[in-house]
Amino acid sequence: MLWGKKPQATTLMTPASASVPPIIPKLDEPMTDTMRKESGPPGPPSTQTVLGRPVILRGELSGGEDLLIEGQFEGTIKLEDHCLTVGQNGRVTAEIHAREVIVLGSVKGNITASDKVDIRKSGHVVGDLVSAAIAIEEGAYFKGSVDILREEAAPERGPHEIDAA
Amino acid sequence: MSANPKQEAAAGSSRAAGKPSIASRALEWLWQHFSDVSHPQILDCGSVRQATVDVLLRRGSKLYLADLLTPLQRADPALWDRSGKHPVFLLEEFLHHLPDIPPESLSAIFCWHLLDLVPHDALPPLVTRLCSLLGPGGVLYGFLREPYLTRGAETAWWLESLTTLANTGEGTAPFPCPALTNREIERLLPTGSVKTFLTRAGRREVLAVK
Repeated sequence: MLWGKKPQATTLMTPASASVPPIIPKLDEPMTDTMRKESGPPGPPSTQTVLGRPVILRGELSGGEDLLIEGQFEGTIKLEDHCLTVGQNGRVTAEIHAREVIVLGSVKGNITASDKVDIRKSGHVVGDLVSAAIAIEEGAYFKGSVDILREEAAPERGPHEIDAA
Repeated sequence: MSANPKQEAAAGSSRAAGKPSIASRALEWLWQHFSDVSHPQILDCGSVRQATVDVLLRRGSKLYLADLLTPLQRADPALWDRSGKHPVFLLEEFLHHLPDIPPESLSAIFCWHLLDLVPHDALPPLVTRLCSLLGPGGVLYGFLREPYLTRGAETAWWLESLTTLANTGEGTAPFPCPALTNREIERLLPTGSVKTFLTRAGRREVLAVK
């Protein structure tokens, strides 16, 4: 199962009309001994932050692990080396930069993903996509443009630049 | 580029159902016409299909996707003003389904059988609007039904390759509007050239070159 129950990130709950400074979730704090005892034997480290359904957030969001949004977010999301999942209840209005983006909810904004954009059949996306690979499931709603990340042409070698044998 | 085998299976449903792929002479002409265009910009007006996306992206295209067909096939009430004696098609509401596309930037528009679904009085401004998005030499590609083909409004079309088509839903819902003649389509595009390719399936493939 891709989205298991994960501990909810500590986030500020703000009125929709208020703007908040950028929040960078502290994702690399080690578990304390107390926490370790209460939760039993240590399992694999948490690899996904969750913005739960009641959360409404606005601002610039960046992080060092995968992110699942089930609430509402407006602003900018930068997860250059990680995966963003907009869950079925997620409502995101943002410029998104991530390694991979999976949409089951609603996204309004442009998406740039170095690996893949995956819009599932319950997804609703309005915006421009740029990615190395794009998957749009039948039944998904998409309006916008789709372009492939193209590698820049390698610079031409001069006559004296010869590969070593 | 497709996500998983399930999507590939869905995209090939016409093959799976025993229906052969449909070779398209019009598409052969179109890609020959664009043989020197490395990154054509193309608008697909049909329902989003992974197979079409894959084929066109592999060709190096930048794609615009705007499902103009489904709201017509479902007779979306938001597209009609029924307050008067006769229902009026709300073209501007309909065109909200288009994304922002710079004028005269497109190489081609794949409108499939859109022109068979739009009320005739809305066709001139619709075609004018679509053609305004095409650059010089741009091509509007679509199907027009023959008058004897009365059903098939809910057909979904997609590309299986650059020059072959597939479809599903053929022969289900009746067409809401009378069939367009070649003369009528030429009148819609007075400044362009129109090429018509006949098929054996009750449809004409039409290429209108700006």
